[in-house]
Parts: sequence; structure tokens; C-alpha cells
Amino acid sequence: MAKKRPVRKTKPAKKLSKSIVGKDRQTLQALRQVADTVVKTATRSRPPHLDIPSRSLRNVRYNKSKRFIEMGKGTNRRELFNLSQAKAYMQTMLVASGCKQLIEQQKTTSIRGLYYLLKHTIEGTKEETFDDQSDCDPVIEDLEVLLSALREELHVYASNRGTLVGNLVLNDSGDQIDCSRMGSGGYSIPSIVEDDVVEFVRCDAEFVLHVEKDTVWRRFNEDKFWKEYNCILTHGQGQPPRGVRRLLYRLHNELGLPVYCLLDNDPWGYYIYSVIKQGSINLAYESKRMAIPDARFLGLRSKDYQRCELTPSVQIALSDNDIKRAKQIAEYPWFKHKRAWQKEIELMLKNGFKLEVEALISKDISYVTEVYVPERLEEGDYLD
Amino acid sequence: MAAAQKEISVSEFFAKNRHLLGFDNPRKALLTTVKEAVDNSLDACEEAGIVPEIWVELVAINGKRYRVSIQDNGPGIVKKQIPLIFGKLLYGSKFHRLQMSRGQQGIGISAAGMYGMLTTGQPVKIISKISVRKPAHYYEIQIDTKTNKPEILNGRGDGVDIPPGEKGRKYMEKHGIDWVAFYEGEDGQPGKEIRSGTRVTIELEAKYQRGRGSVDEYLEQTAIANPHVTIHFTDPDGNTTVYRRSTTELPPEPKEIKPHPYGVELGRLVTMLKDAKSMTLSQFLTGSFSRVSPAVARRICEAAGLSTRASTRKIGRAEADKLYEAIQATKISSPSTDCIAPIGESLLLKGLHQVVPGEFYCAATRPPAVYRGNPFQVEVALAYGNRNTAKKITLEQLTELLGQSDARTLRQFLLLTFDGIGADGAEKILKTAGFGTRQSPSKLKPKDIARLHEAMRDVNISEGQTMQVLRYANRVPLQFKQRDCAITEAVMSTNWRSYGLSQSRGQLPSGPVTVLVHIASVWVPFTSESKEAIAAYPEIQRELRLGLQSVGRKLGMYLRRRKRVAQQGERRSIFLRYLGEVASAVSQINGADRDELYEHLVKVAKRMTAEADVKLDRQGRPIEEEVDFGDNVLIVESEPPGLAP
Ligand SMILES: Nc1ncnc2c1ncn2[C@@H]1O[C@H](COP(=O)(O)OP(=O)(O)OP(=O)(O)O)[C@@H](O)[C@H]1O
Ligand SMILES: [Mg+2]
Repeated sequence: MAKKRPVRKTKPAKKLSKSIVGKDRQTLQALRQVADTVVKTATRSRPPHLDIPSRSLRNVRYNKSKRFIEMGKGTNRRELFNLSQAKAYMQTMLVASGCKQLIEQQKTTSIRGLYYLLKHTIEGTKEETFDDQSDCDPVIEDLEVLLSALREELHVYASNRGTLVGNLVLNDSGDQIDCSRMGSGGYSIPSIVEDDVVEFVRCDAEFVLHVEKDTVWRRFNEDKFWKEYNCILTHGQGQPPRGVRRLLYRLHNELGLPVYCLLDNDPWGYYIYSVIKQGSINLAYESKRMAIPDARFLGLRSKDYQRCELTPSVQIALSDNDIKRAKQIAEYPWFKHKRAWQKEIELMLKNGFKLEVEALISKDISYVTEVYVPERLEEGDYLD
Repeated sequence: MAAAQKEISVSEFFAKNRHLLGFDNPRKALLTTVKEAVDNSLDACEEAGIVPEIWVELVAINGKRYRVSIQDNGPGIVKKQIPLIFGKLLYGSKFHRLQMSRGQQGIGISAAGMYGMLTTGQPVKIISKISVRKPAHYYEIQIDTKTNKPEILNGRGDGVDIPPGEKGRKYMEKHGIDWVAFYEGEDGQPGKEIRSGTRVTIELEAKYQRGRGSVDEYLEQTAIANPHVTIHFTDPDGNTTVYRRSTTELPPEPKEIKPHPYGVELGRLVTMLKDAKSMTLSQFLTGSFSRVSPAVARRICEAAGLSTRASTRKIGRAEADKLYEAIQATKISSPSTDCIAPIGESLLLKGLHQVVPGEFYCAATRPPAVYRGNPFQVEVALAYGNRNTAKKITLEQLTELLGQSDARTLRQFLLLTFDGIGADGAEKILKTAGFGTRQSPSKLKPKDIARLHEAMRDVNISEGQTMQVLRYANRVPLQFKQRDCAITEAVMSTNWRSYGLSQSRGQLPSGPVTVLVHIASVWVPFTSESKEAIAAYPEIQRELRLGLQSVGRKLGMYLRRRKRVAQQGERRSIFLRYLGEVASAVSQINGADRDELYEHLVKVAKRMTAEADVKLDRQGRPIEEEVDFGDNVLIVESEPPGLAP
């Protein structure tokens, strides 16, 4: 099985084809600039390097006025002539050249596809350019921050891992899709949801209900909750992937829909909410295009055990790790000064147990869709 | 009880205490016999100014008995001396003088003869010839242990004279007397006739076994320290090994000196006074000792409260005591040291390189020094590199060695037979070969031996190797009592870690290193009569330490440089590996000329790795690209890692 190798012989620099326009043109330009710098530096007999914005916790900060996590100005230098960085430097260049080919050919591929595209044995050695995919993924993120381009703009996507259903009509790559007629499976949210791929055509929904996982989503879809309450129902299978977050962002900002989240009552649930609302540390550079500071936390709440009169059998004891995480989250700058959140987390710690959304099933199979969520919406009882 | 007391003859004493002379067991007896004879031969040749050539022949009579013959091309021995030399203990030319030589006590060869006689009943056979034209003298001698007197068995108690030339050779052939008459010529033809020499044959109870402490080892080590000697060695299997000389230059002839007053013990002083003819004290002191002028003699006498004109006859025990004290208290200049003939740095390098394979060699000869009034000189040489006898061995040799071994376990066999394997190495080999640690070496099947042989080749034991220490006293290898020897002690207390070797505290360092230490002296202070270990006088310890440090420093420089070169190569190869990919990727993106970019990058890589090489040494000074090792360093360099991708 011959693996595709990057072309070794010099190819005359092709003029950018006329068909490549807009964002792609910009991205290509940025890639070219990186390559030109290498040539310039090497010709002057200097060692080439890249200054890659740092994606570490130290280089992110919470922007109070914008209300999301932003990336700082810190960069990490990656040098070709540094024993511990030489390989990473080479890999970065490889990924850059791979993306350049994708854009030029107007094709997209998954991160796994890109890994296979670029993986080969280095000439004259037994060493692979990438040992496995986990070798390649962080390099893609490096390139994203380096070019301040989204992965999708580099024509690389992650696998679809999120579903939508509701009163929304959209156009995906030329296909008109009515999201209210998607049967039991729903519309699978693609990784690239930029407006050149996904275009909103018509929306009657009044809000978005985002739930944590597939099982809960199915309950709501089966009970036709979205029809009754005229909303869009999404899930992102745990921590939502970029496509889901970006789509939620667009629904919120372009269509003005409020976003409510129904997540488990545990540190992980809090964290997912935090990512949707403020952005993640790892993808801080994309916060401005993904974070939804107005997203609301509908439940489950620490007080629900009493409020809904649940039985002890649904309690799941907090682990030491849960306790540690909960305390960390309480310290997040965007939670720290919110009394309601502090109380919420305190109460969970005091309870000593966590609750999954599914716990509500113990009341009744459709308690969550027929009672719990409607009541909360009615009362306007949510955390912000 | 008084009736039971009687005089003990020296011969009787040594017959009972053979271990004192190195005849503790059959294997060692064989070595000691060869050694005593070879040492004598070398001494005799050098004294006579003859470039030594020696033939050593071992013949197995049966499993327990061997016939040992050693012949030299030395000056030969005059007829009337022969019986005394070979048939009387404590008879020699070297004891009473102070001159650097291998033998010094006058026990050596006659003790070997006596051991042979006691164990086999066979006499010592000697042929000696002092000139081409004169007859050779042939003796068969036994030592009378009661009287310490020789008993001549042949020629009706008078020995036999064998005429020179063809006639004599016929006679010898007829009577089964061996004699190498010609040097080796070109392509197997006999060369020149051997003009003079001595051949000693001793039959003794012995055991032949290769490995540590063997005859083979002794001859090999002798060849290292005596690069002017050629040795022909025929082992009991009839295989002949020749150690050829790498120089025909003889070591300078050591001068005989009178003892220095500081080196003389009280007892010796008393004997000297007794032996001296009647003379004044001043005459005695100036005449018997070196560095004692009449003025110094006067100062000694004054300090002792004795008259310079007192007669030696009148000096009793009390006066001798005072004299001894006075000598210690008087300032006397050090003895002249030109009586020592060191091997010399360049010959040490030659000898070591000839026999020990390696990549780095260096040597240091210390200036002469004095202990207890005895001049001595220390020399140290070092070889670093691929030393591993276990790797060189053939399957046949291994099979044979296993057959000869009396080691109880295979592990012990490996440790005893091969230099530098070390406990770790042995363990690794056994594990690789799949043997238990208690496996006996005697019951191995051929396929087991093949497996062991395979493992010995494959296992990398060079890290586990311990330093091999070759000890010499007056050019004679010391093969036993390593732990008791001042040399070993000095090697172990040297901090080899600062020279780039690993070493646990107070142990021999590890690594593929051989260190050769030579002490030359007019009187080597052995710890016992068997001449196996050097006593630790502070002056000797100091010189040993300085000598070891001096080769250690050079080794350290070499190892640092080697490491740097390796690092540089390593860095370069890592960079170079990725440059092609980078150039292709960049050219893919912007259409730049891939090969041109590659060339530029390679240039930067070279410059970067060269820059990175300018590191600082221990003292923080930049290490020069070309290291100056000083004199007497030999580097057998392998190609440094190249730049070509
Ligand atoms: N091969 C030889 N050729 C000439 N002379 C010899 C030879 N072997 C021995 N001699 C003489 O015989 C003497 C006695 O030798 P022997 O080995 O018994 O004692 P040594 O060499 O003086 O001292 P040591 O006991 O330390 O060996 C020597 O001093 C030397 O003069
Ligand atoms: Mg001797």
C-alpha cells in the first residue's frame, strides 16, 4: 500500500487559481508567508524557527468585558535546530503543506485523514513522520493558532459528534435540510459549519435546548418536546465538539436564540457549561467565535434531590477527584463572583453526591420533558 | 626437648613451606617454574647485552606430570657454577648487590628444580654453552635437601661436555637431549646458529590450564612489558605461539649501586660490620654506602658519639645501635637514581598496543624517587577500548577451556577464565544462554557449549567490564595477590570517575580499560618471598598515585572529546534527518527550489553543530577543537560520524 508522499521535486509556484476566493485565499496567503520566512532565513544562513502562540493555561485569561476566555500574547518558539524541537518543527511544516494541498484542491479531510496523508517513513531512516494520530493532532492545533485560522479553514474537520432537531431549515453544502423532519436520528452536526457550508434558511424556533448526551436527547426527541415548546434540541456527546459549539454560537448570535443547557449535576456538567459559555483553555484562541457568555444552566441543580423528591438510590457518591474538580471550578473567575454558583457548588459538596439527568427517570419516564424542563422554563429558574 | 632440636636446612624448610615460593598447587607450580626460568634468562641476556630470544616448551607426560623446558640465547653459565645455581638454594649473583634485575633472592630456579625432584623424583637437566666454539655443558642435578648441596647424577658426578658443531648435535640427538640450535630463518629455513645460551628442563607435578594466572597470561604480559623480547611458546597440545619483539633496542643497562644508609636495617648493618675487614668506621661508612662522604661519615660518628677512627672490629651491638640511630638523624642526600632502567613511555605504548587491542593508549614514566634509601621508579600505561577476551574466543577454544576448568559453576568459570567480564557480564551471558547460575561447566553437551559461545558473542559486556590491572615489578608480571598489592590499592583509591569512568567507591573502575603499572627498583619491596605483591611504602604510594593520575587525565581528555564528537554526530544526524522533509514541505507550499533550500539548511546544520561543540570543560575553559594530549599518546581512531546524509 503505497502511502502518499509529499511531492519532492520542485513544482513551479502555481498562481492561485481564480476559483479560490475569500477565506481560503487568505489562509493560503498565511501559509505561504510561513514558507517564505523559512526560505529567507535559511538563505541568510540563519536557523529557522516558528513562534507559536502558547496554548497553555498560563497564556489564557478571562476577559471580563467580553465575558470569555482569551488567549494571551505568550508564544513558544519552535526551532528547527533544537534537538527536542526539530521533529515537531518538521511536523508543523508537513501539516502546513498538507493543508495547503487540501485548500488548493478544494477538498476537506478529517484529522485522521490528514494524519494518513502526511504519514510516511523519513527517507534514509526507519523513522515515521508521525508515529500515531496523537502525534499529529496537537500539531494541527499549533498551526491553527499560528495562522489564527480555524481548523475548518485549513480544510480539516473533526468527526461529527453532535445532533440537532427542531424548527429550523438550513442549507448544508447545497442541500436544503428541514431539521423538523429528521426522524428519530436527527441532523448530524458537521464539523465545518461556517456559513459557506451551513446556511440558515428559515427558523421558527424560539430557543435552543442543549443537552449533555445522546440518551437524554432521544427522550426529548421521542416526546417531541421541541415541537411542543418550539425549540431547537441539540446534544454534543459530553464536551461538545467545535462544530456543535460553533453552530450554537451562530444560532445564538445570528438568530438571536437563547441557549439553555441541561447537564448532569456534577463537576463535569459544570465544566461543559463553562466551555460553552466562556470557551475552553485549549481552544482559547477560538473563544471569540464560539463562546456564548449568555448561555444558561437549567439543571440539574444540587437542590433537585430535595426539590424533585428523589430517592437515595439515584445518588452517586462524589469521588475525591470530583471534590477536587468542584473546588477548582468554584475558583474559575467567571464563577467565583457569582453567589448563586458558589452556593450551587457548595450544596453539591455538602450533599456528597452527584446526580445524572437520567435520575429523573426514577420519577417517571417522561418527567424530565413533561415536568422538569417546562417548570424551570416557566419559573425562569436557571443559573447564569 | 633439647635433644629434639637441630638445625634445619633451608632446603628442608622450603620443602615444607613450598607455598612461600609460589608452589602452592600444581597449576601455580607450573607457572612459577616457567617464570623463574624465563626471568633468569631475561636477566642474563640483558646483562650480557644480548637481545633476548626465549623458547618455552611444555610437554604433558601424563595428566599430572609435565616436562618444562626453557631455553635462552643468553651468555651461558660457566661449568663450575651450574651445579650451584641449580642445585643449591640461596645461591645467586643478585642478592648481595643493589642493581635492578628480575631475580634478586637466589632461590628461584633451584627451588623450582627441588619442587620437581620432590614431586617426580626426576633431576633438573641443564645445558649451557658460553660460546659457539666451546663445548656445551650438560648436567643432571638433584638437590640434597638435608645439606642444601647439589648432587650431580651424570658423567660420574661431573656432568658431560658436548662438543660444538655438528658432532655435538648428533650426540644430543642420540641421547635425547633437546636444544634449539638455530634461530628461525626466512620461510621456515633455519637461520643463524645460536651462539650461546642455557636450557633448563624440569619435570614436575603440574596442571596446565589457560586463563587467569596461567603460563599463557604470564608470557603475554611479559611480552607487553618487554618489547625487546621474542618468546616462542609451545603448549602441551603442540601449538606454538610467538610473541615477536617490536624493538631490538635493549633497555639501558642498570648500574649497580651501593646501598644508601637510610635503606639499611639494623640487622643488616650489624652483618655488614661483621663482614667488613678491619678498618676505621669512617672507611667503612664511606666505602660501603652511597652518598657518604668523609664529612658525612664524621657527622654520623659525632652523632653516634663514636670516633671516626674506631675500628669496625670494636663495634659491638650497643655501638651499632647508636650508629643506626645516628644515620637516621643525619641528613644524607638521596641516592643517585640513574641506576634504574625504566621501560620508557614509547616502548610501553608499543608493547601495550601490540598485545592489548584498544583505541586509546597513553603512558607516563614518573621521575625516579627513593623509598628507605632505595631508588625506584613508577611507570603507568593505559589502554582504552574494545578489550574483551570473551568475544575473541573460538568455539574450539571454549570447548577446550571448559574441559580444563575445575570451576564449580559456569559463572565461576567465566569470571576466572576471562578478563574483564565481571559479575554483571557473567550473569548476562548466562541469562542470554539460558543457563542457571549453578550450572556446572563440566557436564555441558556440545550444543550447550555452542549456546554459551553464541551468548558470549552477543552479550554486550563492555559496560560491566572492570578495569584490568597489569602489575609489573622490574618488568616481571605479578599475577597473584592482586588484592594485597600496593599497585591495586593505588588504582582503587584513584578517583576514576573524574576521568570519565564509572567506579564504585574503593573498587576497580569499570569500562574497557587496561592499566599497566611498572615499578622498577634496585630492591623491589615484595610482601613475601613469592614476589607477588608490592608493599605499600608511602613514597611508592605517592608515585603510584601521581602516575595513575597522569594517565587518568589523558584518558579523561580523550573520553570527553570522544563523547563530544559522538554528541556532535548525534545532533547532526538528527537535524539532517529532518531537513529533507522540511525542504520538501516548504517547497510544496511556496514553490521554492527544494534542493537549494536543502543545501542552505544543511549548511546551517553544520554551523549549528560546530558551534554547539564549543563547550566548556570542568574549569569552565572552552575546550579546543584539537585536544593536546601531550606526549606518548596513541589513538587508533575510527571514523568520526560523517556529515553526508
Ligand atoms: N639462564 C641463565 N643464564 C645465565 N645465568 C643464570 C641463568 N639462570 C640463572 N643464572 C644465574 O644463577 C643465579 C641464581 O638464579 P636464581 O633464579 O636461583 O636466583 P636469582 O635470579 O638471583 O634470584 P630469585 O630467587 O629472585 O630468582 C642468578 O643470579 C644468575 O646469576
Ligand atoms: Mg631467578
